[in-house]
Amino acid sequence: MATTDVKMEEVKKVPAEAKAPRIQPMVYKSVVTVYRIFAIITLYAVLLGVLAYGFVMGFYALNTSWAAPVILSPADDKSLDFTQKLVTTRQTLEDLNVDMKRLQDGVAEVTKHRAALLALAPELQAAIVREKQHNRATGPQLLELDKQKQADNLKTQTVMAQIKEVEATIDKDLAAGLITKGDAATQRAALNQAQSTYTDSKIGEILLTDSILEKTTTDTKSLDVLDKQAELISEVAQLDIAIGVAQKQIYEETKQINMLRQALATAKSTPYYLSVDGGNVVYFAFVPYDNQSNISIGTAVYDCYLNMVACRKVGTVKQIFAGEEHAIHPIFKTDIRGFLIQMQLDHTESAKSKTVFLNRKPLFF
Amino acid sequence: MAPVLVWLILILCLLISLLKYTFALILKWSVPGATVKKDYTYQPTVSVLMPCFNEGKTVYETIESISRSNYPNDRFEVIAQDDCSVDDSYEWMLEAQRDFSNIRVRVGRNTVNSGKARSVCNALQHSTAELIISIDSDCIFHTEAIRELAACFSEPKIGSVGGRIGVRNPNENAITAIQTFIYYAAFQVYKVPENWTRSVGCISGCLFAIRRELLLEIEPKIRSRHWFGIPVNQGEDRFLTHQTLLRGYGTYINNDAVCWTTVPSTLPELFKQQLRWKRSIVRDLFYTLRTLPQHVWTLHPNTVLTLVLTPLGAILGLLVALTVISGNPMELAGPAPLIGYLAIAAILALVIRRYSAREAVNNPLAFGAYLAWSVVSSLFITTLALCTLDSRDWGTRAKIQEPERESTDGDDGRQDGRSQESAG
Repeated sequence: MATTDVKMEEVKKVPAEAKAPRIQPMVYKSVVTVYRIFAIITLYAVLLGVLAYGFVMGFYALNTSWAAPVILSPADDKSLDFTQKLVTTRQTLEDLNVDMKRLQDGVAEVTKHRAALLALAPELQAAIVREKQHNRATGPQLLELDKQKQADNLKTQTVMAQIKEVEATIDKDLAAGLITKGDAATQRAALNQAQSTYTDSKIGEILLTDSILEKTTTDTKSLDVLDKQAELISEVAQLDIAIGVAQKQIYEETKQINMLRQALATAKSTPYYLSVDGGNVVYFAFVPYDNQSNISIGTAVYDCYLNMVACRKVGTVKQIFAGEEHAIHPIFKTDIRGFLIQMQLDHTESAKSKTVFLNRKPLFF
Repeated sequence: MAPVLVWLILILCLLISLLKYTFALILKWSVPGATVKKDYTYQPTVSVLMPCFNEGKTVYETIESISRSNYPNDRFEVIAQDDCSVDDSYEWMLEAQRDFSNIRVRVGRNTVNSGKARSVCNALQHSTAELIISIDSDCIFHTEAIRELAACFSEPKIGSVGGRIGVRNPNENAITAIQTFIYYAAFQVYKVPENWTRSVGCISGCLFAIRRELLLEIEPKIRSRHWFGIPVNQGEDRFLTHQTLLRGYGTYINNDAVCWTTVPSTLPELFKQQLRWKRSIVRDLFYTLRTLPQHVWTLHPNTVLTLVLTPLGAILGLLVALTVISGNPMELAGPAPLIGYLAIAAILALVIRRYSAREAVNNPLAFGAYLAWSVVSSLFITTLALCTLDSRDWGTRAKIQEPERESTDGDDGRQDGRSQESAG
């Protein structure tokens, strides 16, 4: 069916073509002319494009003075990461400083306490020595007195054996009416007094024995004093250990603080710090290592039309940052290594150019 | 947004291509219906039309190879048509006519240089055979070629059949090596799905067989082909294939019918050849788009897809190359594409060495150069083709004589380039 249809169509077309208006050649000619003009323009555009492309590729392959402006926004990933690290570092530093202060205060207090204890120790020692010397002197004397006392008491005891007879005599005398009741009471009181005195004397003898024991041997009191002395020494030793630990901690934290301060100082010399910390707008540019030789502080910065011609000076290099950065080549789109510089721009719109040139105009105009 | 769209379309095309190739391999190995049932007892009379322009002694070799054909000699003839060559081509034709008397060789000559398409038409005037085989005058034919082509026409719905084109000079240099791979892959893989639906989008003009009545029906259209009044004398093979399909006939490639052609060995020659091909692809796309409803209703969906996607791929390639170059030019220089190409080359080299030793490529690494060529091809040839649709220049052969005058009224130009026949 399809074949037949096509054939029919072909047959029908013949008379239509035969009656083709005479205007057709003119239309064809016009179309071809327009097409040719368009084609020539297109092909020249392609040719120019290819030449320009080749030139640009060659230019950037050979040029060693270009840099790519970079606008660092506080909101970009690197800046956000930097900000977060900066805040964390500062917080850590603050915490360490507080901890340091606490440790230093603690060490001072403990040292003072230790000094007090150490001051107490010789006094205690002196007291012990003094007491020992005193005991050494009074011990034998007391021993002698104890002997006398014992002898005295022994004599008194003999006397006291006769008291009962005296009492019986008093009773007899009272019963016989030889003495009055008052006299009897007075005599009995005297006897009690004598008994009491004897008892006191016995107590004194025992107490004297105790004293002799204290002064001639090491008693529990002495041991208590020695214990106190040992405690004192132990406490001092413990304080020494605590001071040592605290000082070690202070040393470590001091080191850490120094490192953090150094890190902060380094961070302050990065473009990201300027970007996130400063209130002013700062302009940076990425410089590949290949173009390093053209850079120093104060080097002129040029911005060009079409990234290479009709250049004008737009500023100078203000600062060169040491840290390595990676970037994508603006033309070849490859990953390249380099560093950032800060630019002092008189024409701030140049910060948005694809490339700027350092030190000299790339094509001498 | 635009690059994303381009990439999306590219990925879609790649996916379609991948599916197509995978499908082709499955068809090739497991579906008998993908190939035509050949009947070797079907032996129609055959006229081998050989237009020639500045081929020199090669025409003699071509006729010699045809004379060795195993097709019955009384069933075929060679009609060699010289298109006003300025070298000794015509003399070599006459020499072949004398030397190969086992077959009938007729030699004719155009009165003016007319181009290949019209030379074929002129040669057709001298033919009375049932089957016409149009060939290139620089090819060497396998003895089985005519028999194989004729056998396919036993299927009545087959209108045109092509053969597989091999490369005569695969190891001349990297350029010819690349073309060897591409030719082989194109015939053995790419055209298989098209064969399945009997809807090959382009049968090569090197070896193109068509039913006589069909060619006679299309001949006026070939003669009257013009682009806004400018005669078109390129891409007649694609045009003929397309017209065959539009007339409801099937088109088919018989890979057992083989001929070998000398492919361009220098970049300028290759550039001109590819430019000529690209022009015909672009013209064909415009023609397809202009008559798309007719295509959709008449042709198999696979045919429409082939006719639209193949040329669209060429234009898309240009956009992709532009996107890559404007985005990340070094991506093209990366190792991945090169390794990919070399891997394909290694596989193809092994397959070619195994199944077509005559075309074995000594240095498969040469295919790596295709990467650079594909960029040039995508970027420049498509652009140039789009901007030179008015060109009539054949490109690969020097031309001294004035070309046929422009036909501004759309006539068929029969008055020009008529042939003179010599001897019989």
